[in-house]
Amino acid sequence: MRNRATAIRVVIIVWFILAVGGDVALAFGPIPPGQASDLASSESLTILLLAEIGWPIFSAVLAALFFTMVVNRTAPPTEEPSAAALRGNTRAQTAWIAGTLVVVLSLAVYGTVALAIDQPGAGVPSQASALAMPTSTSQPLEVQVIAQQWWFTYRYPTYGGIETPQLVLPVNQKIEFNVTSLDVVHSFWFYALGVKADAVPLNDNVVTATPTKIGTYRIQCAELCGLWHGNMADNTAMVVSPSDFAAWIQQETTLDAPIMKYLLPYSHTYEPSPTIYGS
Amino acid sequence: MSTPPTLARRLNEWGLLLGVIGAVIGFIIGFAVGTHAIPYSFDEDNSLGSDPGILLGYALSVVGFLAGMGFLNYPIGRLLGAKRPTEEDNAYMHGEGGGLTRYFRMTTDHKVIGLQYLVMILAFLFIGGLGAMFIRTELLTPSPTVANAQSYLTLVGLHSTLMIFMASAAIIGPFGNYFVPIMIGARNMAFPRLEALTFWLLPPAGLILLSTVFLGGFTTGWTGYAPLADQNVLGMDSYLIAFALIGMSIGLSGVNMIATIMTKRAPGLPLSRMPIFVWSVLVTSFLGALAAPALIAAVLMEVFDRSYQTTFFVPAGGGSPYLWENLFWFFGHPEVYIFVVPAFGLVMEMLPVFTRRPLWGYRVAVGGMVGIGLLSFVVWQHHLFVSGLAPSLRPFYMFSTELISVPTGIIYLVALGTLWRARTRFTVPMLFIFGFFFNFLIGGFTGVFLSDVPSDFTLHASYFVQAHFHYTIMGGEVFALMAAIVYYLPKMTGRTMDTKLLRFQFWAVFITFNGTFISLISVGILGMPRRVISYAAYLQPLNISATVFAYGLGLSMALFLGILLWEVVIKQKVAARNPWESLGVEWQVPTPVPLFNFDQVPVAWSLPYDYDTGKPAADFGPAVPAFSGA
Repeated sequence: MRNRATAIRVVIIVWFILAVGGDVALAFGPIPPGQASDLASSESLTILLLAEIGWPIFSAVLAALFFTMVVNRTAPPTEEPSAAALRGNTRAQTAWIAGTLVVVLSLAVYGTVALAIDQPGAGVPSQASALAMPTSTSQPLEVQVIAQQWWFTYRYPTYGGIETPQLVLPVNQKIEFNVTSLDVVHSFWFYALGVKADAVPLNDNVVTATPTKIGTYRIQCAELCGLWHGNMADNTAMVVSPSDFAAWIQQETTLDAPIMKYLLPYSHTYEPSPTIYGS
Repeated sequence: MSTPPTLARRLNEWGLLLGVIGAVIGFIIGFAVGTHAIPYSFDEDNSLGSDPGILLGYALSVVGFLAGMGFLNYPIGRLLGAKRPTEEDNAYMHGEGGGLTRYFRMTTDHKVIGLQYLVMILAFLFIGGLGAMFIRTELLTPSPTVANAQSYLTLVGLHSTLMIFMASAAIIGPFGNYFVPIMIGARNMAFPRLEALTFWLLPPAGLILLSTVFLGGFTTGWTGYAPLADQNVLGMDSYLIAFALIGMSIGLSGVNMIATIMTKRAPGLPLSRMPIFVWSVLVTSFLGALAAPALIAAVLMEVFDRSYQTTFFVPAGGGSPYLWENLFWFFGHPEVYIFVVPAFGLVMEMLPVFTRRPLWGYRVAVGGMVGIGLLSFVVWQHHLFVSGLAPSLRPFYMFSTELISVPTGIIYLVALGTLWRARTRFTVPMLFIFGFFFNFLIGGFTGVFLSDVPSDFTLHASYFVQAHFHYTIMGGEVFALMAAIVYYLPKMTGRTMDTKLLRFQFWAVFITFNGTFISLISVGILGMPRRVISYAAYLQPLNISATVFAYGLGLSMALFLGILLWEVVIKQKVAARNPWESLGVEWQVPTPVPLFNFDQVPVAWSLPYDYDTGKPAADFGPAVPAFSGA
């Protein structure tokens, strides 16, 4: 019996070292998707928190499995195999169920609160028509993402509804992405900003995020949308300073001027082509 | 048998051949009618035919196949006033004196059907595994090399759909059919012909699915999202018909199992004393019977969308892609528990044998599985967290999804309780059980990140999801399946595949599996979406690592099949009668199991886990010797 007690102690100590070491390592490690926007930071924090809570529990179950399967196997043969047949233990069962319930309930409450803070009223457009030009950086600037096989285009309703093949955003300005599709279901994934929203025809899917780091980023489609789904990606999305953004808007407005009369009037959704059959 | 065989019996003897002939005739009729008699307005320049032609051709070929196999003889014969089948007829249909030919015709013997299932799911597993090897080869480089986009997506769709077919039948098919009637002391299933039907729907489904490569393939993966499915060429029809057949098989098998377990239990066997595996099959059967109809309905709506210009899922015609997503995942989420609940049951059934302990917490284990079953119907929208559908419902689905970890955690508690202070016998099945608990633990903890909406924004539809469900389905269910194959083959075939090499095989498959999917968890976290043929260059090193491990995984899975074939089919190594010294009812009947299982229906005494007293679970009457311990 002393061997068993020693083994339990050793396993508990090893578990404790693993749990604390892992949690400390997690706290210092880079956690995806990074800190390039307020939304991404919040997602990083959530992922970190779940990992910090999950890792000790995970390693505890592993340690228990390891102990019961492996350590017991090498227990001295003097022990009678039929000793103390256990058929259940109400206290242990109640404690286990109560414990997992508490963890789950707190996770659900935390997730709901985090969701409410990140995305108040997410998923639906805040109003029927396009937003007005923001007067401060905390008011959202509306940017429409239009997905079609197999690229994304972007419209800026507050700048005359110009349409561009490249996404450029001003830094530290709250952005409201309005995501829609012209044909099949796509998903707009701006990894660095923590933005992912399915593009569904005749639906306006809204996500807000404030980019906080100037840089060039990758955008890709995250929902299987046909032949070139894998190539529906763009490495040229940019977050720039407000003055660079103004200059870029100026340049795009000039470029778009000749085609503006052919563009459909800005709308949150567009009627998909009726002849979607045939390839 | 003294009387000469009747015509029906002679025909039944050639059932498979007649079935194939029937399938060909059915296809020709259906194709001709569909192509020429049904007005079809879509201008699809495809020399192979039109959607109605292919769809009706496939549908009638399945009917023709089943008619040739003899599935219509009984119902039509009875309608025309034929006499009830005699005892002799029933014994014949049950496979009496059939030898090997029993396995190639319609029989009503659940043991024959169990082995048919086993061979078929191993074939699906093998073909699907080859697909995985091709996929990993393509993903060695960030841009297309060995495949083009169409063939790559078709491979992805074939791999995933075949594996879903395999997984939904992998445990309930072979082991549920073979052992549930024996475990509950029944001489047969409640609906034996229906049971044969649930199996014989599957080979046509597999072949029809594979035929997609001749029809241009399909680009939707196994989820078949509309309206992309409407755009696809004829290959999509293969997927739809095959999935409808699978749905029917799952649903009918569920109904049959529920009826069997509810009505055919031996005297002295209340629900509260059933072996835990039977409980898991009961829960799974309810899931299948309730969820599969949603899939069949969705698939038929898509069939009509494609052929007759209904617009259930087409936004331009007033339909909604969300309708498909909802129907599909209403089936799709219970489906994953159809995979894994029988695996829980099997593992908990085997643990007491190897720990020589009673199952710890039988009641709470049953409660856990029932809880999983109930909750699995109210979590499906977590597949749609970023879809823009009903965003205000997301907190509820987050909560219900996280809640399901409570009953799942109970399974771990029961395992730990059973293992507690036990002197575990580390046989090969026990190694795989250990692998099951390790892998499923990772699968469960990765699931927590996906159930939480804010972290799901980043991880949704990435390789993180892909690795998560491979951890639960392959690391969980397939590991349990391999444990069960090694464990139950001595009973099912009288031969054993338990060799030293299998221990090596376990460690090989365990290490390469984890290597592959830890690499894929990492690429997912770093931002690689699923089902892409091209990816960002910075992800290549991890993809190479995943591919190298995946090759090892493929080889070690092939080694398992190799050992199985070598030991059981070629060497025919004879197994001990009860090699694991189990107290279970299924190990107390003779091997091979008699035609109707029991000469005398046993009387159940207790749960079959009394390893402390060694008391057998049932009284088999004087004819069968009591458990001898060897």
